[in-house]
Amino acid sequence: MEKEVKLSVRNLRISFRTDAGKVQAVRDISFDLYKGETLAIVGESGSGKSVTSKAIMGISAVNAMVESGEILYDGQDLTRIPETEMHKLRGDKIAMIFQDPLSSLNPIMRIGRQITEAMLLKNKANRKTGRKAFHKKLRALSEMMIASLTEKKALGDAEAGEKLRKVDGYIQTFDGFNRKAIVLENSYNHAKNTAEELISIIADYLFLAEKKQRTDTIFTLKIIRRKLRNIRDKYFVGGYKNALNAYMVGVNDEILSEKSKRSVKEIWRKRHTRKEGDFEVSKAVVTLCENLQATLREMLSQPDYNFFRIGYCVYKQPNTDFSQRSALEANAMAYQFLMDDYMKEFLSLAKGAVEYAEKQTLQGKRIALQALDEGVKFFQRGNFTANEAESVARTITQAVIGGINPLAVVKDNTAYTFGGALLREVERYFYYIRNNQKEETRFLKQTRKRERLLAKGKRVDWQVVPKSVVSPDEQLKNIVAVMERVCVKFYKDIENAGKADAETVCVELIDYLKEKASQVVFKLSKRMAKERAIKLMDEVGIPEPRIRYRQYPFEFSGGMRQRIVIAIALSANPDILICDEPTTALDVTIQSQILELINRLKTERKLSIIFITHDLGVVANMADRIAVMYAGKIVEYGTADDLFYDPRHPYTWALLSSMPDLNTEGRLDAIPGTPPNMIYPPAGDAFAARNQYAMEIDFERQPPMFEVSPTHRAATWLLHPNAEKVELPSAVAKRIQRMKQRGEKDGQ
Amino acid sequence: MGNDEILLKVEHLCQYFRAGRKEFKAVDDISFEVKRGEVFGLVGESGCGKTTTGRAIVKLYDITSGNIYFKGKRVGAGTRSYEKMIESARKETREKIKLLRSKSGENSAEISALRARMREVISQQKQSIGEARRDNRRVGTEKRNLITQIQMIFQDPIASLDPRMTVRDIIAEGLVISGIRDQAYINEKVYEILEVVGLVREHADRYPHEFSGGQRQRIGIARAVIMQPEMIIADEPISALDVSVQAQVINLLNDLRARFGLTILFIAHDLSVVKYFSDRIGVMYCGKLVEIASSEELFHRPLHPYTKSLLSAIPLPDPHYEKKRIRKTYNPLAEHDYSMCLPSMREIAPEHFVYCNDEEEERYKRQC
Repeated sequence: MEKEVKLSVRNLRISFRTDAGKVQAVRDISFDLYKGETLAIVGESGSGKSVTSKAIMGISAVNAMVESGEILYDGQDLTRIPETEMHKLRGDKIAMIFQDPLSSLNPIMRIGRQITEAMLLKNKANRKTGRKAFHKKLRALSEMMIASLTEKKALGDAEAGEKLRKVDGYIQTFDGFNRKAIVLENSYNHAKNTAEELISIIADYLFLAEKKQRTDTIFTLKIIRRKLRNIRDKYFVGGYKNALNAYMVGVNDEILSEKSKRSVKEIWRKRHTRKEGDFEVSKAVVTLCENLQATLREMLSQPDYNFFRIGYCVYKQPNTDFSQRSALEANAMAYQFLMDDYMKEFLSLAKGAVEYAEKQTLQGKRIALQALDEGVKFFQRGNFTANEAESVARTITQAVIGGINPLAVVKDNTAYTFGGALLREVERYFYYIRNNQKEETRFLKQTRKRERLLAKGKRVDWQVVPKSVVSPDEQLKNIVAVMERVCVKFYKDIENAGKADAETVCVELIDYLKEKASQVVFKLSKRMAKERAIKLMDEVGIPEPRIRYRQYPFEFSGGMRQRIVIAIALSANPDILICDEPTTALDVTIQSQILELINRLKTERKLSIIFITHDLGVVANMADRIAVMYAGKIVEYGTADDLFYDPRHPYTWALLSSMPDLNTEGRLDAIPGTPPNMIYPPAGDAFAARNQYAMEIDFERQPPMFEVSPTHRAATWLLHPNAEKVELPSAVAKRIQRMKQRGEKDGQ
Repeated sequence: MGNDEILLKVEHLCQYFRAGRKEFKAVDDISFEVKRGEVFGLVGESGCGKTTTGRAIVKLYDITSGNIYFKGKRVGAGTRSYEKMIESARKETREKIKLLRSKSGENSAEISALRARMREVISQQKQSIGEARRDNRRVGTEKRNLITQIQMIFQDPIASLDPRMTVRDIIAEGLVISGIRDQAYINEKVYEILEVVGLVREHADRYPHEFSGGQRQRIGIARAVIMQPEMIIADEPISALDVSVQAQVINLLNDLRARFGLTILFIAHDLSVVKYFSDRIGVMYCGKLVEIASSEELFHRPLHPYTKSLLSAIPLPDPHYEKKRIRKTYNPLAEHDYSMCLPSMREIAPEHFVYCNDEEEERYKRQC
């Protein structure tokens, strides 16, 4: 199965305007980020890795300019969209963790508020956008249903007319009961979370009691009482109502008896020395806590209710109550009711709509392909005016939009961004025609000036900025390439048409609607945000989150601060997480904890991660795929296994051999020199000057990407068939040997 | 090494800082020895007192308690332990006298004997305090020479170089302070040392901002080496540098060590580098040294649970290994039970010291 591409960067070029000239920070890089995968970008400082990530977030420095290329996400090109659109994505869909945790926290705001701030704001925005998306998709669905039925009616299907009248009702019901379901589920989840919290509170307390540490029994019991009160969702409590009430009474009694034990002197001492708590815990409290914990565990182990089904029953008959039945029974009953009463019909309608939509879009795609074909011919002919070109581009864009399936859950990046990309390339064509002349004269003038100065015998410490001239023919090729990309995509779609099962597509669609409906209904109160923040803090491994919630950033250690930053980044539930050297400022143990945390969150939340670092060791555990960057270019790109067990580029070798590991002996192979000045990037391979394997061609021409295997590519002339074969540096070879041996040993 | 001469000896070093009304114990009673010509690595998580130890040795702080011996002579001493002894002697005597009085009324002979003993103790301790203060002062050429033989390399090459001084001034500052006025001699020395650390003569008249991170760290090293020290305290010299440059600096330190026979106290948190570079390693946790052993021994047979957890956290550039690596966690409350018997530094195997109590000592010995 093909993986879903979340974000793709194509031919990105970013430069910075400075007084000394144009610094080319990123030079033509392309990569894809798949869903649920980690892409690591490795390189030295100044290799352009942070610049890339900042461009994705839309927070490039003011003097940065995106010279070409695109960053595609969710049907949008992030380099082009206006700031208002970017606001909706930044932090919400794409979040970032920075290198220095202290500078990314507000020193005069409590940690708790910093975490909940984004949640509360985003919740409000999400409700709006969720409603919009929900209604849009639902409208599209109903339109498609109507269209498909009308077609059938025209063909003489008798039932179609009757169904046609019902469509509106069905859609309304779907809308309504989804909301009901979400309300029920929220309350259920809240009770469940509280129970989990309670278990952990009791566990902490019992641990301390067992170790004979200081514990405050009354305080803990009060917390337990408060939590118990909060567990009242009838679906969650179910048959345990009496048991919980009994515990409530028990806890109350214990609080009273504990209070009566305290003498006046003790209370005075505690108040004035602020050393609350005792070392002794009464046995009754311990058994009560243990029993409560066991009961709660039992409750949590019960199977979950399916609220999508129950929601419908409650919506149709507000008096139904499934809470007394076991989850399995209730689910089955509700399922039966839902299916018989509603879902069968709805599904068949939806199936019809999906099939119809696919047929329609296939038709649209064929038309679009024709238009594209003509467009390609038009542009290849050349010799056109600006107005002509623009009108042709617009008609093609219209045709391509006709080929987009309105019911598809995953947006088609290529088709959605096609219009903008094409118009931009056309504009650039005319720009180059105007600009090439200017550039040539500037270059000549500068060269002459330099030569004049040199002839006078003066020291010239600047170089001539190379001319950036693109011939119109080249640009025409770019225009055609944009169109061909859509062509390839559409051809592939047409080929794959009919392969997807209409029913699975239906289910996906309904799932999408469900998710959006939950966004609409889900209103986050401050208290809930606090509970969530505390849960999040717990999730990222901060002990005693309740106390920490009210502290200021300076009260945290470095590792803790980084965890807080991660918690803030995760608070909005992003799709993509960009980690810009998150562990560089931390030491080994904390680093390893943070990495484990990020890894765990990745699998739990299906995050896609871009992980930027200069330490290859860190990446081995994290990355699915790795891109090694040097001087603004990706020099090697492959899976983690490819890169660590079969590195091909000399720079990767150097990175691997320059750091000692636990078995390194003898002198380290340091990389001599420093990275090149990117105002005047070298003509050939940028690494050539520091590369002991450099050949003559490395200084003259830039190496293309050679394919080693389908997943592994490297840009070095060493891979050219005519190149001399070179040996791996011994340090790297030895290390790979060792790793293989270790692997075999483990295998046995 | 073959050479067993002890160059630096740290005895019960304590360094406390005032934090409001309380005291923060950055370094709490640590002892170790560094032999001539070896590299002693100090590792631990941030905030465990590694840097404080280094700074206390070069006397950037007035140490609270303990002694530091360099080449057998005391160069640093703290007075807290003596003061505490005086206090406890006073208290003890007072209590004893009270007891005597309550028992048998006025018993002047015994009381005066007690007081005499107390006075003796106090005068002894006061004498020690006076000696410690005298040792702390840098008077006399011999002593001044002694302390300049320990030099320090700092972590952040940007913050530790004065931006308004040329490289020549920065490197020569130590010579000037030590009283050399001959400009020609200074220049010659500076050029010589620049070449040693891999820079060229032309760099002498530039300012620090004109250099890259690796070159700046080289300047920092040159500044330390020009005084011809016998010992260098390298406080995380590579953690602020770029990957490709880190190896250059490590190689440079290695070369210098071979060339001048330097002894290095290497403070770092990157365990792979420490393993590669050091002969012996001390592991610190919360201001205490928990384990000292030769680097081979420490990595093959770690005994203290904190060391184990530290070693299990090292990332390796090997994806298959990394996927299986299990990090051990260290929770001092759960690991140790020091309620019955207090821990101290004990030799478990030859040259392998662990901070433990009786019960743990036995367990560790069985593991060996």
